[in-house]
Amino acid sequence: METHPMGVFVRIHIDLDKCQDPQEVKAWTGVCPVGIFKLVNGQPVVVEENEDECTFCGLCLQACPGGAIRIEKLYE
Amino acid sequence: MRLLEFEAKSILKRYGIPIPEGVVVAGEETPVAPFSGPAVLKAQIPIGGRGKTGGIVIVDKDEDLKERAAALFATRIRGYRPKKLLIEEKLDLKREFFMAITYDTVAKEPIVIFSSEGGVDIEELAQGEPEKICKQHFTFRDGLPEHKAREIVAETGVTGKPLLGIGAVLAKLATVFIQTDATIAEINPLALTASGQLIALDCHLDIDDDALFRHPDIAAIAKDESRIEAAKAQTEFERQAALIDSVDHRGVAGRVIEFDGNLGLIIGGGGASLTAFDAVRAHGGKPANYCEIGGNPSVKKVQALTKHILSKPGVEKVAVIMNVVSNTRVDLVARGIVKGILEAGRDPAETVAVFRIPGAWEAEGFKILRKYGVRYCDRTVSIDEAARMAAQSAGRQSA
Ligand code: SF4
Repeated sequence: METHPMGVFVRIHIDLDKCQDPQEVKAWTGVCPVGIFKLVNGQPVVVEENEDECTFCGLCLQACPGGAIRIEKLYE
Repeated sequence: MRLLEFEAKSILKRYGIPIPEGVVVAGEETPVAPFSGPAVLKAQIPIGGRGKTGGIVIVDKDEDLKERAAALFATRIRGYRPKKLLIEEKLDLKREFFMAITYDTVAKEPIVIFSSEGGVDIEELAQGEPEKICKQHFTFRDGLPEHKAREIVAETGVTGKPLLGIGAVLAKLATVFIQTDATIAEINPLALTASGQLIALDCHLDIDDDALFRHPDIAAIAKDESRIEAAKAQTEFERQAALIDSVDHRGVAGRVIEFDGNLGLIIGGGGASLTAFDAVRAHGGKPANYCEIGGNPSVKKVQALTKHILSKPGVEKVAVIMNVVSNTRVDLVARGIVKGILEAGRDPAETVAVFRIPGAWEAEGFKILRKYGVRYCDRTVSIDEAARMAAQSAGRQSA
C-alpha cells in the first residue's frame, strides 16, 4: 500500500453535477464543523489544508441529499 | 489565567464590591502608604496561602515600611519573587466570611460556596464543621439575584444587617464570575469591620484562558510577561509550544516543559501524563520534554507540536503515550503525529519509539500507524510497559 510522502489521510471529492441548487450547496458547505468547504464566487471548493481534520461526522453527507460529496480514506 | 490580588480587586471595585484602601508598589519605587496607621504588606504572587509562607507582613509603624517592603521584595515565596507589593490599611475586624463561585463540571452549572467562617482552609472546615458551609447551584441564564444570595448566606446562620450586606456582595461576585468568564471567583475573607463595613480583604480570580479574547483588558494583563517572576522562566521552546496550542480552541497540544534528554514525549490524560513521564525516567529514559495533550486537539496542532519537538537538537525519537481515551480521537492524533514527523523530514517507523493511545477510534488510528510502519500498542500494554519500550528504544538510539 502506497503512503503519501506528506501524510494525507482524507480526500473529499465534490461532484457538482449531483447538486446544483444554490440553497442546498450553501447548506452543506456551511455545515462542516472543521471548515472543509468554502464558497468561492458561489462555487463550493474544498479547503485542502483542512481536509485531514475531517472527523467523518457525516453532517455534510446528510445535508446534501443529491450525494455530491464523497469522502475517501487514503489509509485503508 | 490567575490574576494577582490587586488585579482581581480592581475588578471587584468595578462591580461595587468594597476593597481596603491601598496602593501597589513596584520594587524600584519607595513605598508610601496613602493612609496613616498600621499597614499590611502583601506579596503579589499567583499562589494561595501567602499568609502561611511569609508573603503577608503586618507593619505597625510607618518608619518600618521601607525596610519591611525591601525584605519582602527580596524573599522567594514558593519559588516566586514578588515584583509588586500591595500595601493596604490594616483594618479592625469583627468577623470574617468565605465566599466562592466556581463551575461544577458534574452538574454543569455554576456553584456558590459560602461559609460563615472566613480566612480558613475551606476543605478543613467542610470536614470539621460542615454546618457552617452552604453550597448551591445557579444558572448562567438567571444569575444569582440578591434574594437568592441572601437565602444561601442565611442557611449558615447569618442574620440581621450583615445578612443583607453579604447577600449583596455575593450577588455581585456572581455577576463578576459570569461577566468576566471566570472559572473561580473567591473572596476569602470577606471582613466585617468593627465599624460595620463589609470589605473584601483578599480575592482569587481565575479567568478562562479560552475566553480572554472577550476581555481585551484582562488579555492585556495576561500578555505582560513581566508581571510575574516565575520560579523558572519560560524557554523559547516552551513559548513556541504554547503558541501552537493557541492556534485554535480545540483540545490541548502544546503545554510543554523543556528538559535536556533525547526522547520527545507527546503524552496526556491529566495524571496519566505525569505517570508516563515518571515511568519513562524510572526505566532509564531521558525525556526531552514534558507535555500534555488531550481534549481532542486538532490534527494541525498535533502535527505542529510533533514537528516542534523533533526540531529540538538531539531528539531522535518521540513516545506517544496516553491513558485509555474517550474524549480524544486516536485516529486524529495518529494523523497529526505521522504528518508532523513527515514534515520534519523523518520516517515515522524510525521516529516513533512507541504509540500507546487506546480508546475512541483506535481501530482507525491503528490502521494509519500500520500503514506507516509505526510501532503501536493497545490497552493490554500498560503505560509503564509502554514507557519501558520507549526508554529502551531511545536508549538504543543514543548508545
Ligand atoms: S464528514 Fe463532517 S468533518 Fe468531514 S467534511 Fe463532512 S462535515 Fe466536515
